[in-house]
Amino acid sequence: MNAITRRAAAAALGLALLGAPLLGAAPARAQAPFDCPEPVAASPAAAAASPAPMTMDAAFPDGGGALTVFAAASLTDAFGEIKADLEAEHPGLAITYNFAGSQALVTQLAEGAEADVFASANNTQMKAAQEQDLISGDPVTFVRNQLVIVTPADNPAGIDAPDDLGASGLRLVLAQADVPVGRYAREAVCGMSEDTAAFGEDFVGRVAANVVSEEEDVRDVLTKVELGEADAGIVYVSDAYISGDQVQQIEIPADFNILATYPIAATAGGDAALGDAFIAYVLSDEGQATLADFGFDPVS
Amino acid sequence: MQSLVRTHHGPHAQADSALTSNALTLTERTMRGVAVCSAAALVLFLSLPLVAMFWRLLRDGRGVTPEALATLREAMTLSLLTTAVAMAIVVITGVPLAFFLARRPFPGARLIDTLVDLPIVLPPAVAGIALLVAFGRNGMVGRWLATMGVTLGFTTAAVILAQVFVAAPFFVRAAKSGFQRVDMDLEEAAADLGATPLRTLRTVTLPMALPSLVAGAVLAWARALGEFGATIMFAGNFPGVTQTMPLAIYARFGAGDLTSALILSLVLLIASVVVLFGLRLLASRTATPVM
Repeated sequence: MNAITRRAAAAALGLALLGAPLLGAAPARAQAPFDCPEPVAASPAAAAASPAPMTMDAAFPDGGGALTVFAAASLTDAFGEIKADLEAEHPGLAITYNFAGSQALVTQLAEGAEADVFASANNTQMKAAQEQDLISGDPVTFVRNQLVIVTPADNPAGIDAPDDLGASGLRLVLAQADVPVGRYAREAVCGMSEDTAAFGEDFVGRVAANVVSEEEDVRDVLTKVELGEADAGIVYVSDAYISGDQVQQIEIPADFNILATYPIAATAGGDAALGDAFIAYVLSDEGQATLADFGFDPVS
Repeated sequence: MQSLVRTHHGPHAQADSALTSNALTLTERTMRGVAVCSAAALVLFLSLPLVAMFWRLLRDGRGVTPEALATLREAMTLSLLTTAVAMAIVVITGVPLAFFLARRPFPGARLIDTLVDLPIVLPPAVAGIALLVAFGRNGMVGRWLATMGVTLGFTTAAVILAQVFVAAPFFVRAAKSGFQRVDMDLEEAAADLGATPLRTLRTVTLPMALPSLVAGAVLAWARALGEFGATIMFAGNFPGVTQTMPLAIYARFGAGDLTSALILSLVLLIASVVVLFGLRLLASRTATPVM
């Protein structure tokens, strides 16, 4: 009898604990609004003017070789195409990519991972790599990107403008604040929040309260939206572009949008000849055209 | 008589055994040397990464920041809460299942047996996808739940589901073999003495299977505590809601905050060591193979 009561009590406790988060479909989150720092790495798209990249004159060595490129997750598809083109053009060349959030790539490089090229989604992470002597030479901006709001194809929460992100009960997914796209997204929301006439009081606070998950890189954000698990996410235009019909896009006005600039550089200790050749190709008309095909803003 | 025999056969036998033992010693020494070296290499390989974590933290750990402490507290609380609930569910549902699997050959028992073991060998990513397509908002069951206003994704309940999914097999497996080891003659004796089946279960079967049940629960708990892949795919990552210890470690590492990641890792490491020592202690006390 005793055992049975005890078991019943345990069952009740278990069910109560399980039920608590179950019943509240959108659990209350005590959440501080984002820190709204001064934009460091990026400037509002409207005012941006990026210097034209220097043209580089480096060819792939005869016989090719093994090239390892650490690149921001948002570059996955565009760089995949560049790999196919380059390997077709240069027999013997084998390109290996490691795609992840730029901040994770810097950690990996600092821990001794071997790479020839590092392509970051923001200057902050490139600077972090430079400060740890992981980079040789000067980084060059090779492409630009902007932010866009994405919803699942059926847009279950009925979002049709950025100010809907503050609607109560929305399930918003962002990349974590240390990931470039996560930082940019917060900057954009902070910018909108200052315009109380258009976005209402405490927009930052309301948006922050809607964040249900902080993902490791931009592709994780996109997946959660594509699957319909989240009502909305903020990703790069290029990611939404690849996603095609799987998501709906809601534009962020240029006044609040962020122009993400992607720097690329050869790494210290990497194969400089191969690395420079890859960077030169990415900056070439051909490389820039491929990036544009995938929804990026070319720099030339 | 015996001494006579011994003196008679003695010298020959001694020489013979000395020869064999010398020859054996030579081969044996080499073999033993190789064996000791490879065993030592494995021990070194297994312990080195763990030692390295301490070394790294001591070498250039920037000290415990208040943020890291807050993350640790939040993640640890969530981990303890979710694993406790997961274990309650696993034990409540796992004990009867294990008992039936151990005792009654029913149709489909072998199939269920295999099914229960499956999450043990499944990669966590597969578990995550499986849970998503089952309980996600567009999933087989999740779609139906959503019409009733219940969404599991990004909730603490999703974390618990993931933990139950990956940990339950460890418990059921151990509990099943525990029940199988209980001497059925004792149960029959209890029944002959007039005990009801429930009383037999409570006073004979369960107490005798208890060490296995406890060991299984501890193992399952450890697995639930370490659960990562299915959680991050299915439940997402949000501090205080779905960010358990392993997710917090991954998030800090991903953010370039190696020190916090190391501190959180070491806390989990120490917890695991305590669990394993506890298991060993339990095993030696009850003298039953619990693992």
